[in-house]
Amino acid sequence: MPEVGAAYARVRALLPPLWRALPWRVLGAAGGSATALPALARLVSGGHDTAFALILLRSAEVALALGLAFLLDDPARHITVAVPTRRVLRNGLRLALVVPLVLLCWTVALLLVPGEIRPPAGDVGLEAAALAALALTGAAAAVRFTDEPQPGAVVAATLLAVTVLETLLPERCTLFVDVADPGWAAAHQRWAVLLLLTVPMGAALLPERIRRRRALAWTHR
Amino acid sequence: MTTAPTVSASGLTLRYGGTAALDDVSLRLREGITGLIGPNGAGKTTLLRVLATAVPADRGAFAVLGHDPGTTAGRQEARRRLGYLPQNPGFHLDFTAFSFVDYVAILKELTDRAARHREVRRVLEAVDLSDVRGKRIKRLSGGMRQRVALAAALLGDPGLLLLDEPTVGLDPEQRMRFRELIAQAGESRTVLLSTHQTEDVAMLCHRVIVMVRGRIHFEGTPAELTARAAGRVWSSAERDPGARAGWRTGLGTFRNVGDPPRGAALLEPTLEDGYLLVLDGEPAEVASL
Repeated sequence: MPEVGAAYARVRALLPPLWRALPWRVLGAAGGSATALPALARLVSGGHDTAFALILLRSAEVALALGLAFLLDDPARHITVAVPTRRVLRNGLRLALVVPLVLLCWTVALLLVPGEIRPPAGDVGLEAAALAALALTGAAAAVRFTDEPQPGAVVAATLLAVTVLETLLPERCTLFVDVADPGWAAAHQRWAVLLLLTVPMGAALLPERIRRRRALAWTHR
Repeated sequence: MTTAPTVSASGLTLRYGGTAALDDVSLRLREGITGLIGPNGAGKTTLLRVLATAVPADRGAFAVLGHDPGTTAGRQEARRRLGYLPQNPGFHLDFTAFSFVDYVAILKELTDRAARHREVRRVLEAVDLSDVRGKRIKRLSGGMRQRVALAAALLGDPGLLLLDEPTVGLDPEQRMRFRELIAQAGESRTVLLSTHQTEDVAMLCHRVIVMVRGRIHFEGTPAELTARAAGRVWSSAERDPGARAGWRTGLGTFRNVGDPPRGAALLEPTLEDGYLLVLDGEPAEVASL
């Protein structure tokens, strides 16, 4: 199994520089915001309810997703574009390095909200996962279809705009509903559909293209 | 040169919307330095990016040292054998010169730590950066950063080196130093050098390709390109209105390029004169490959 050994050695060698090359400032800001916002539920005293906690946790979801939009930023992209180590491996490793930290931040965020006003953890976790997957899919698409080394800012701005616009949608198809709303369960089915659509799409976008599709030719400027 | 071509390309075409960045480009590159010149937007960078396997072409095929980058396996093999210095190399600025080149070395599959570090030291020495290898890239000058990028391209002793305007933004001394490095690199491998500096082409290259609007308009030796201007460069006291290009020299006389009037004081042409005439509505011509 020399090939497996070589692949393992390459992954082991890659982890330290990839860890160092991650966009730590923005990831740190996202993680910090995602944990600081729910902490408000404990710090601000008096009369807060589940709806307030939900707003804080949704803010944390969005903060984490905005941070993940920068995960695939690589200032050295033009130098590393023609190396034999595949992009899918490099970006997969970035993801593997960051996902545990994101999960930790999210868990801390959830625990910071007092149990008596905490919205259903599974449902808000589903929202967070779907938003994170959407951000990562956007980042993967930007890397695949453009030459931009650091598309994170554009992806994050687009994600924020989509999130804001989504709240303007009619009730029957909106995602952000209140816990007390009878449409809560239906909305979370939509969240699940969003997650199920974005994960395979993001995975499909991670590898490099061997051939161009004519319809997408204009995007690669 | 009778060696087998390092790169064989035929019919490379790549369009962005309605614009052909590459339009049916065919070429063969052999050992030595080939200069690639042309105006902005001629398709030089696109050609280098396609040959570097950074972007696939819409049509056409090419091989790098016998490997077809049109397949996943072929692209991996081609990438193991090429070095690419992009036009605007970016860096992880908090890395030191050594750690950055080491990172690229890992990506180039040099996983044995001791051997990799030897190779990193070798390429940093080749570009004369040994003394600053422990400095963070953000503390290095533009010329030093260019050399870090060249060191990364030289890792693994690639058979094909693709250099996209490596001397842009460098001062004359740095350009001279870079010229030496490129000349050394071209002694034992195939180098394709995209540049706006016709002097670099005249001094370094054994072949030259002129690209205009995504097509190859001239391919030959620098002497052949220079010869295109033989008898078509002259000196005059005033700018000759019939000249295709003319400028006042430091001597106060005008150097004109075009079709000289009878009895004009002809001057020795340069490669730049030949290049100007190829650009200026000359019929497309590709010398035999």
